[in-house]
Amino acid sequence: MAKGQTIKVEIKRQATPDAPSYTEKFEMPYRPGLNITSVLVEIAANPVNTEGKETSAITYDSNCLEEICGSCAMLINGKARMACSALVDRLLDETKSDTITLAPLSKFPVVRDLAVDRSVLFENLKKVQAWVPIDGTYDLGPGPKQAPQIQEERYPLSNCISCTICMEVCPQFNTQTNFVGAATIAQAKLFNMDPSGSVLKEERLRALSGDGGIQECGFAQNCVQACPKQLPLTEAISDMGRDVFIQKVKDFVSR
Amino acid sequence: MATVAPAPPSNAGHSEKLRGVQPLRAGEGHTFFLRRLHSLTGIIPIGAFLIEHIVSNFEVVNGPLAYAQQVKFLNGLPLARVLEWVFIFIPLAYHALYGVYIAIKGRANVNVYPWAGNWMYLSQRVTGVLALAYIIQHLWFQRFTGVSLPENPGVAYWKVQHELSTAFMLWVYIIGMVVTCWHFAYGIWLFAAKWGITPGDRARKKFGWVCGIGGVALCTMGLWSIIAIYSAPRVPYMYNAMPSQPNNTVAPTIPGQYPVTNYDQNNTPQQEPLQ
Ligand code: SF4
Ligand code: FES
Repeated sequence: MAKGQTIKVEIKRQATPDAPSYTEKFEMPYRPGLNITSVLVEIAANPVNTEGKETSAITYDSNCLEEICGSCAMLINGKARMACSALVDRLLDETKSDTITLAPLSKFPVVRDLAVDRSVLFENLKKVQAWVPIDGTYDLGPGPKQAPQIQEERYPLSNCISCTICMEVCPQFNTQTNFVGAATIAQAKLFNMDPSGSVLKEERLRALSGDGGIQECGFAQNCVQACPKQLPLTEAISDMGRDVFIQKVKDFVSR
Repeated sequence: MATVAPAPPSNAGHSEKLRGVQPLRAGEGHTFFLRRLHSLTGIIPIGAFLIEHIVSNFEVVNGPLAYAQQVKFLNGLPLARVLEWVFIFIPLAYHALYGVYIAIKGRANVNVYPWAGNWMYLSQRVTGVLALAYIIQHLWFQRFTGVSLPENPGVAYWKVQHELSTAFMLWVYIIGMVVTCWHFAYGIWLFAAKWGITPGDRARKKFGWVCGIGGVALCTMGLWSIIAIYSAPRVPYMYNAMPSQPNNTVAPTIPGQYPVTNYDQNNTPQQEPLQ
């Protein structure tokens, strides 16, 4: 595509959580180097649809614009990706057309337009206590040392940006199973491997064996394919599957 | 004119139920046990039985007598009927029913994400349902209706060959064999992945070869038996390879007369008296 041509953007919109959805089309001059958030910024600067009617700017979440805050996940040409790192040039190349479609993530309740409520991930992280418990009434002093080997295994897991893409693409993450999703399982592993965080290890493993827990994983492996931060999610699920099972056996014979 | 932005939604305690997918029910329910039991029963005892069944049935390539002896041997095992129910029918029924329940709760999306693992996820559900349909008809026609093989092991060869006497049933058996072996081979791979036996990517890839080669070998053996009994000369109607075998006793095996040409060109079974 060259300068001077136009790109068409079709956006699935919805005014409120309960309002019906509809599609609105926009056109804008092509520029090299656009990403999806800059497309949305440009529509906001001149919110006029293809019929020439003035409309409202598109609502969407974004913050860092460099794929690190995790807020801008949406369906771009039908697939879940981050708007800020989805490059228009590549998208046009991919489909060989001049149209790009945008829609909100399909498995999370819509707040408005492309903004969805992803608090289920936050709730899940709370359920597995995905943190290091160091709050106290007095200074606990320095934490235990962490071997570099452990650090190296933990680092990739710490890259999660809570974008929920791994959950959106998972065939098991739906309202029938209410599966917890790969991100939470990976974070449970991250904190179980932390020398201080491991005090909650058994509780995390027990939490993951509840309904909707790790057992709902069907190993379709979409999570690891789609994760924008390349977390080793299938490895984490496999490792945690073993740990949860061992914990359940221990609990069964000793509690 | 500055307007006051609406307050962000409060998540204080989340007293109201979230919309959409619900959070983890930490510490609640028994699905972990049920799911793991489903995974385990697929291998022990069902998978183990599948291997035994395919290996046993391979005796058909050695003719009616060898096959009859194999059937007689298995049915002569102590408590054969109890073993059959405890190690085959009950686990199989659980694995099948819970498997269908799992399958209908999934939301396959290969149309959007056509990746290999995603296709295999779908294939495990499709092959599971097809294998179940196949096994139901197989049990019905071969185990629960018609001449009873536990009591008359001598007619096993005839019963199977008679079942496979149409091209349609031949294809039912071929497809049944392929989907069952597929489901079993990938099921072992899934078992190792989910139970944390093969956590690493390379371990899973290597084990994928093991399961693939093992599955193809098992399937080849099964198909070989099917083709062998289909293409062998037709034995006469109700042909008994062990005529002196009285009902419900384990007597020494006396071979029956192998038929010479007891079938005509129109494939009509020739009515012959029981030997
Ligand atoms: S694991 Fe990956 S896909 Fe899932 S929320 Fe974290 S960054 Fe996003
Ligand atoms: S805006 Fe932060 S990840 Fe896209």
